Amino acid sequence: MKLFKNCLLICLFLSINFNVLSAVSDKVNTDSEDFKTTTYEDKIYDPLEPINRAIFGFNNVADKIILEPTAKGYKKLPSPVQKGIGNFLNNLKLPLVVVNQVLQGQFKNASNSTGRFLVNSTAGIFGLVDVAKKIGLEQTQEDFGQTLAKWGLGDGFYVVLPIFGPSNLRDTAGMVLTYSTDPVNAYAVHQNEAWILPIKTATNAIAQRSRIIDEVNALRNNSLDYYAAVRSSYYQNRKAAILNTDDHAQTPLPLISIEFE
Amino acid sequence: MRIFFVLLALCFFSKNSYADDVAIWLEKEIDIILQAYKNENISNEKRFLLIENTINSNFAGTGIAKFVSGDAWSSANKKIKKEYIKLFKRHLALNIASMMQGYSNQEYQLINKNYDSKNKVSLIDMEIFNDTSNLLITWRVKKSKDRFFIIDLLVADISLVVTKRSEFNSMLKNVNYDLKKLNILLEQQNENSYNKLISS
Repeated sequence: MKLFKNCLLICLFLSINFNVLSAVSDKVNTDSEDFKTTTYEDKIYDPLEPINRAIFGFNNVADKIILEPTAKGYKKLPSPVQKGIGNFLNNLKLPLVVVNQVLQGQFKNASNSTGRFLVNSTAGIFGLVDVAKKIGLEQTQEDFGQTLAKWGLGDGFYVVLPIFGPSNLRDTAGMVLTYSTDPVNAYAVHQNEAWILPIKTATNAIAQRSRIIDEVNALRNNSLDYYAAVRSSYYQNRKAAILNTDDHAQTPLPLISIEFE
Repeated sequence: MRIFFVLLALCFFSKNSYADDVAIWLEKEIDIILQAYKNENISNEKRFLLIENTINSNFAGTGIAKFVSGDAWSSANKKIKKEYIKLFKRHLALNIASMMQGYSNQEYQLINKNYDSKNKVSLIDMEIFNDTSNLLITWRVKKSKDRFFIIDLLVADISLVVTKRSEFNSMLKNVNYDLKKLNILLEQQNENSYNKLISS
């Protein structure tokens, strides 16, 4: 009898639960004004837009002529070579990643990144092989721009840097800090081997560009306003990086109603 | 006490089973698109038509179009709105088809399924495995009248819909928020995008 009672209770609960869920899912707001209720802030402060657009145009041409073809060539390299270069460059960034994680109070991530650096620099043959990932030390990224944002510094205005591309005042300051404090850069300069700096920057740019060839082309070929599309993409990407939104539920949600014609 | 835990488990299960339903549906629709790319015997025109049909029937095209047009929507008349929605849907299909162009039999997996009960949206994370790096795509799916609709697509944290809204806002500013003038530009852009896609 007790068992029967329990079964009955479970059946009743199941029925209520499913009915509630299906009723909730069917009550999609179809208000035609719904699209206006988004809380997403899509107004980006861009007072230098005419100058930015001119620089963007120059960068776009440089990308088409130099960076994209080089990235396409890089993509033809055997994947272990590409992986090795990517791992090596990522490993070089780790000391500054650790510094930024400490500055942001992410001590667990900082110890994780320190572990990654030690393991990959030794067992991973100077960072060429990502051994750390295999033992559960996942890669996390932080830079000075993100640290400044965490400390409460606003974006400032949007700016397009020649060659370096989209940025804002805070991230530009962060980039300057990165270049001036990077131990690899400091060591190269100290050893009178400053030529390493542009090579490292260029290789980094090529490796990163090779990963998004199709995405950039899709955006470039199909945008009504490519400049605005890149600007928005940059801000969304940085916002997610600052908030460390691994959980996409936290990414601002456009409120879109479903309507039938 | 035991019954309490059983009820709790059932509650959890039913929420997850809803997200599972969405994932199964999504996987099926993604596979239709991927099959179109795997089939080398069909022309680029036919491939695009197939993809466009799949996108039109699974994306909340009208809702996205309205969201993207922002304030310009309210000042336009019915005929212009209808024309805009038609053009926008093709624009959306061209964007997604163009993004998919580099597809070369990569494996993918739906790795995370969540239901955001506050916004009544399912979030499905999909990881695409490449030789050198993996790509994370998040699908946002809403249910209406017993059907699922994709309301947004996030590629590496970048929302397609939010990017489009920003892009369209910028263009609308140039044409004084006149949807009729935007339609002309959108039609031209669609033509250019289509020609590039077909000739590639």
